[in-house]
Amino acid sequence: MSNINRRTLVKGSLAAAIAGTSLSRAAFADSAEPILLGVSGPLTGPNAQYGTQWKQGFDLALDEILAGGGINGRKLAYQFEDSQSDPRQSVAIAQKFVSDPKIVLELGDFSSPASMAASPIYQRGGLVQFGFTNSHPDFTKGGDFMWSTSVSQADEQPLLAAYAVKKLGLKKLAVLHLNTDWGRTSRDYFNNAAKEYGAEIAITEGYIAEERDFRSTLVRVRDANPDGLVLISYYSDGALIARQARQVGLKQVICAASSVYSPKFLELGGDAVEDVHVGTRYFPEDPRPEVQKFIAGFKKKYNGLEPDAFNAYAYDAMNMAAAVVKIGGPDRKAIRDAFAKVKDVPSVIFGTATFDVATRRVKGAMNAELVVRKGQFSLWDGKPT
Amino acid sequence: MSSWLDYTINGLIVGNVYALVAVGLALIFGVSRLINFAQGSIYLVGAYIGWVAVVQLHTPLPLTIILVAVVAALVGLIIERFGLRPLQNSVRIAPLLATIGISFVLDQLVMLTFSPNPRALPSQLPDVRFQVGGGTIGPLDLLIAGVGISSALLLFVFLRYSKLGWAVRAASQDRDAAMQMGVDVNRVNQAVFGIAAALGGVSGLLVGMYYNQIDTAMSLQATLKGVVAEVVGGAGNVPGAVVGSLLLGLVESYGVAVFGTSYRNLFAFLLLVVVLVLRPNGLFASARQAPPEPLTGTFIAPSRPVRIPRWALALAVAAFAILPLLPVSFYVLQTLINAWLLGMLALSLTLVAGTVGQVSLGHAALLAIGAYTSALLSLALNVPVGLAIIAGGLMSAALGTILISPSFRLRGHYVSIATLAIGEIVSLVILNWESVTRGPIGISGIPPLSLFGYDLISPTSIYWFSFAVMVVLALLQARLLSSHLGRSFRAIRDDDIAARAYGLSLNRYKSLAFIFGGFAAGVSGGIAAHLYSYINHETFNTQQSILALTVVILGGLGNVVGAIVGAVALVGLPEVFRIAAEYRILIYGIVLLLLVRFRPQGLLGTI
Repeated sequence: MSNINRRTLVKGSLAAAIAGTSLSRAAFADSAEPILLGVSGPLTGPNAQYGTQWKQGFDLALDEILAGGGINGRKLAYQFEDSQSDPRQSVAIAQKFVSDPKIVLELGDFSSPASMAASPIYQRGGLVQFGFTNSHPDFTKGGDFMWSTSVSQADEQPLLAAYAVKKLGLKKLAVLHLNTDWGRTSRDYFNNAAKEYGAEIAITEGYIAEERDFRSTLVRVRDANPDGLVLISYYSDGALIARQARQVGLKQVICAASSVYSPKFLELGGDAVEDVHVGTRYFPEDPRPEVQKFIAGFKKKYNGLEPDAFNAYAYDAMNMAAAVVKIGGPDRKAIRDAFAKVKDVPSVIFGTATFDVATRRVKGAMNAELVVRKGQFSLWDGKPT
Repeated sequence: MSSWLDYTINGLIVGNVYALVAVGLALIFGVSRLINFAQGSIYLVGAYIGWVAVVQLHTPLPLTIILVAVVAALVGLIIERFGLRPLQNSVRIAPLLATIGISFVLDQLVMLTFSPNPRALPSQLPDVRFQVGGGTIGPLDLLIAGVGISSALLLFVFLRYSKLGWAVRAASQDRDAAMQMGVDVNRVNQAVFGIAAALGGVSGLLVGMYYNQIDTAMSLQATLKGVVAEVVGGAGNVPGAVVGSLLLGLVESYGVAVFGTSYRNLFAFLLLVVVLVLRPNGLFASARQAPPEPLTGTFIAPSRPVRIPRWALALAVAAFAILPLLPVSFYVLQTLINAWLLGMLALSLTLVAGTVGQVSLGHAALLAIGAYTSALLSLALNVPVGLAIIAGGLMSAALGTILISPSFRLRGHYVSIATLAIGEIVSLVILNWESVTRGPIGISGIPPLSLFGYDLISPTSIYWFSFAVMVVLALLQARLLSSHLGRSFRAIRDDDIAARAYGLSLNRYKSLAFIFGGFAAGVSGGIAAHLYSYINHETFNTQQSILALTVVILGGLGNVVGAIVGAVALVGLPEVFRIAAEYRILIYGIVLLLLVRFRPQGLLGTI
């Protein structure tokens, strides 16, 4: 063992020497060299769409940051490595980022297995892993280098439950949820809150992400005789369930978690998602300047394309990263410490975002109660459907 | 009680959807004895061509269908001509692997052209619904049923009564004899691929309209369900594929009715295993049908394996052993750690698939069993990590062998389909058995690797540890293969009838192979669990099983050194192409196709 240790030491000092030379070289380099962030996420494979959406959000934020003078005069840039959201690849990427002194902060990965498999490497390497879609309850327990702006389901689900039970008066609910770590955690928070508000959960059904056919599930739902359906779904499966619910003749009120908030939900759902109630983190008519700036900028940059929730998460994450790097400078440990210091960063999702140092997550997401009317998301006017 | 009518109707409707894919698969299997894993990709292409036609060109429905059928048929012809025909005389498994490579390429091309975002594909039929039972049926449901059943009928009539149909059946029974009787086998193959691809494309269009959404991830699921339906009905039997699909739809629907949504796919794959065990050739296999050929055996490529001299191997091992002492980055070490873990899995698979001839498409399940066993033992019972990993290996050996044993009487492609099903079943049991596996939440906080009380945390020590374990497993396996036992294994692969006549108990030897193989895979999974510190049911998925099979074939079936070389190559390739970002899976698919085409016996040859 001592032998190995000595070798490791020799190797370590060698690595340190190499790192040292490259660092001093970096110090001499002109400040035109951009500050580099690493992104680990899916660009190919079954989750490829989310990586594409991240890029759109990142690029918009970077344009604005550059226009605002960059990070103390330096450009901010990112290096996107495709992990396919596969843990074997995300750990290799983690080693790559950790051993690359140019990377000062890491964003991602998308799924829990890929993110949390890489966490020990980031923690030991002293590089912040900033997961902005990681709602798994154990993600930030990986160490003090794990931080997240993913909306805590403990915050979000009670708001949706209040919307469904208190405002819409639904007393007997059927809950359909994606059977993933996110769906399960959300379901538990939702069900507890709904029961607290006096509703009965008549039936809960979990489905896997690849599911396309929900007719038989919906017969079960019909037989449970609820007066409302709650979807803890992403937009594509949420739209499928809504369509098939209407096709099999279910006429109950449908409520959905904020994750369906996307123009795609309207496109894929068509008439079937009319009158669906959605509790969401942001919506385009929100008059707050952060939101309006985001939407106008997004449409301008992407030929009129409407942004959705994942675009907004990525945009917010990049802005948060910029704010943190601004305080910490291009130093990994200082950046970690800066997460505790950063305050009231303007944000689309949170209004202003500040980290809770104990949980290393952001608290208090914005909430808007929307309903789909005439094929558009609009603020709920208080009238029952 | 009325609900049961609804479950039945729903089951039949979704069964219709499966039938569209299964009929095309059955047709191709009937002629080429090939499970076409690219059928789902043609279905994907059809859906996107349909989207272009409907949304951009505003074609009316009949024209849309014709357009999709023609383009898809063209794609099918190209696949047959350039992807599969050159492989006619190579190992039986080469075309199977080629179809996997083709599906990578097609899926990626569609993704790069249309972006991975899901799109709406509006139905061009009027939106009227007829009340049936408690639910409703629409015109599209009827159209899908009509296309599925009438295409099956037409194909049946074509195969039975037309001259080209006879030629197709003759070619499927005995290719050489058919050729001698003047049948142009290539033309037959082309006709079949064209028809099957047109059907596949139209099914993508109709299913896309049915759900009003298409996305680039839909192809693998379509292939999986189509293969299950086809094999249940009796591979190669066109009407059987329809009945198999309807049965699959019904079983899923009733499964949801009784046990709930999260058990849906579990019942689909259980149905497959039960049918395979009771009727190994599917429900509609006729007694006169020739028995399926073993997949390897007499079809193994006659190659002279590359013999690497011992001193060179020793030198290579020494070079890899001292690598961490050189100034290489942790990224390189981590990539090689991945390669060593994949190497252990490949050793396991090359033993069962290469040496004994039982091609497994569900090998990731063994990783999962090892990983969960080791993680749970060390977390819940505080078993030292080293022992927990060994226990994981033993559990994989025991459980894996028990699970796989019903498939020992199967032959040919049926073995790979059965193992595919068992892989899915293990993953679904992990998802649903929450009290033990924590279900979708997964297991987090798994303690790091340690040995004799020392934590192995640095990439250097993990590298040495996994490399040493792999080398030991490889040496044991090499010793095994050169023994009497190893020769018995190869005898079973090469000619199981002769082996049985000689007095070898096939089941016992196959079990032995799975016990050894299961241990290596379980150890690999156990190490991965402690390395990642978090695992869930998706960590070890079908993609990994396919990757492992690719490694084994790339290295050379049954070849111990080949398995490791293959693992290094296939972990390395995507890393080398990492700069190519979105294009790298495309490149990977093309490299795979070229390898299968020009070196079907693998880099180091079959032993």
